[in-house]
Amino acid sequence: MIEKNDTIYAIRARNVSKTFYVTEDSHNTVKQRLFNIFNSPKQKKVEALKPLTLDIEKGECIGLLGRNGCGKSTLIKVLAGVYPTDTGQLTINGSTMLMNLGVGMSHELTARENIYVSSSVLGLKIKEIDLLFDTIVDFAEIREFVDTKTKFFSSGMLARLGFSIAVNAGADVMFLDEIFAVGDMKFQEKAIKIFESSWIEGKTVILVSHSMEVIRNYCKRAAFMKNGELKFLGPVEEAIRMYTEDNH
Amino acid sequence: MITRIVRDWIGRSNKTERLWLMAKIEFKLRYYENKLGLLWALIKPVSDIVIYYVAFEMIMKQGVPNFVSFLFIGLIMWNFFVESTTGTIQLLNTKKYLYEYTNMNKIEIYISTLLSNCIGFFFNFLMFTIYYHFIDKGVMAYSWTAFYFIPIFLNLLVMSLAFSLILSNIYIIAKDITQVWIVITGLGFWLSPILFRLEKFREALPGLDYINPISGIIINARNVLLYQQAPDWKLFFFGWVYAGILLAIGLFLLNKLGSKAAEKL
Repeated sequence: MIEKNDTIYAIRARNVSKTFYVTEDSHNTVKQRLFNIFNSPKQKKVEALKPLTLDIEKGECIGLLGRNGCGKSTLIKVLAGVYPTDTGQLTINGSTMLMNLGVGMSHELTARENIYVSSSVLGLKIKEIDLLFDTIVDFAEIREFVDTKTKFFSSGMLARLGFSIAVNAGADVMFLDEIFAVGDMKFQEKAIKIFESSWIEGKTVILVSHSMEVIRNYCKRAAFMKNGELKFLGPVEEAIRMYTEDNH
Repeated sequence: MITRIVRDWIGRSNKTERLWLMAKIEFKLRYYENKLGLLWALIKPVSDIVIYYVAFEMIMKQGVPNFVSFLFIGLIMWNFFVESTTGTIQLLNTKKYLYEYTNMNKIEIYISTLLSNCIGFFFNFLMFTIYYHFIDKGVMAYSWTAFYFIPIFLNLLVMSLAFSLILSNIYIIAKDITQVWIVITGLGFWLSPILFRLEKFREALPGLDYINPISGIIINARNVLLYQQAPDWKLFFFGWVYAGILLAIGLFLLNKLGSKAAEKL
């Protein structure tokens, strides 16, 4: 159940959990479903997220640590309202945006169209996008390709465009999943510069990263996850210690 | 859920602009990326009219007065319904990029796609009106009854949205719903009064104008535009009840199945 409320919290989660049922036999056609009404497919239960409770205040930057497959990506998709929760209550205050390789973009649209659609989805009005348009294009360094379909873009160009839209259009709550791990050195430097500018101030950010340095520099609190369980949420140094121990 | 959506829309004024922006882009993608552009929207009903005119008027001699106008309005309404349903079955898959990264309300994706279909429909409707008034012979011009076409078209729009919601959400759990729907719409086309004189249709298949939800809409569109009559009120209200019930089912499925689209598709 997802609700929206005006509080000091950007996100409040109470006993939120997520389980995936992975079917071994694919019953995904009308025929298969009709012929197997009394023979339900074998399902494997994967507890991606065990019941957890957390509060994230508006304007906080929280780091999320954990080894691969520990449930970080599932957690941010649940908190962003992209995946529905199986149990508990989730309150999201405002628009959310998830960013890994890029924000949601269609490869059939041009960069210009993607900028307008994505920024509009993030809550901006057309006039506001008109004002931001040149900044987004220049930051992404795609001026010559602004009317080219993004399916012809390199992965680096896509990453730059996605990051530029995210940085300039933004959302109330932003989930940044390993954004420092993509792109070339110049792009990574640019991403770090953005984080070191005043951009991050006042924004609610949940930052997923394997880089201790990034978490240490930009986050006030950090969470540590293991096997789908939120083991710790508190001071950054303690979360880093737990994560480092888990890696040895 | 509906009150929440309406409240949300009023509260956040960029939603109307966004719907229009997405509808325009969708329309451009469909028609302006090929040489003939918007003409493609007209080519389908015109080619159908030629085929059915030869079969039903020249060979079978049904004797329907102004058969081309009779067919034209029936076909553009039917094609709108088919495009808005068959064309949107995979909507949650093709437009995944819109809701995979944000908590955007999925109903907006459906409405913008239907809006884009409406642009094509209005172009065809304009062509029909020109043909009916300036080319077809022995017809009566539109009268005040033509205003009834607005609620009739809205009925078609809501019905299309309802089927689109139902089909695209079933697609999440049963991928071959596309083929099943093609068979159903094929049957629906022949079991409707699009091609046949209404009296003959009712005599041969009594009650079918109530079973096929699009039949009543087409019958009433012809009544108000071609025959300057008021709609058949029983069919009119029946159509709206049909649309209301189907829309409720569609929204229920969107809530139940559609919420899992990001993880299932």
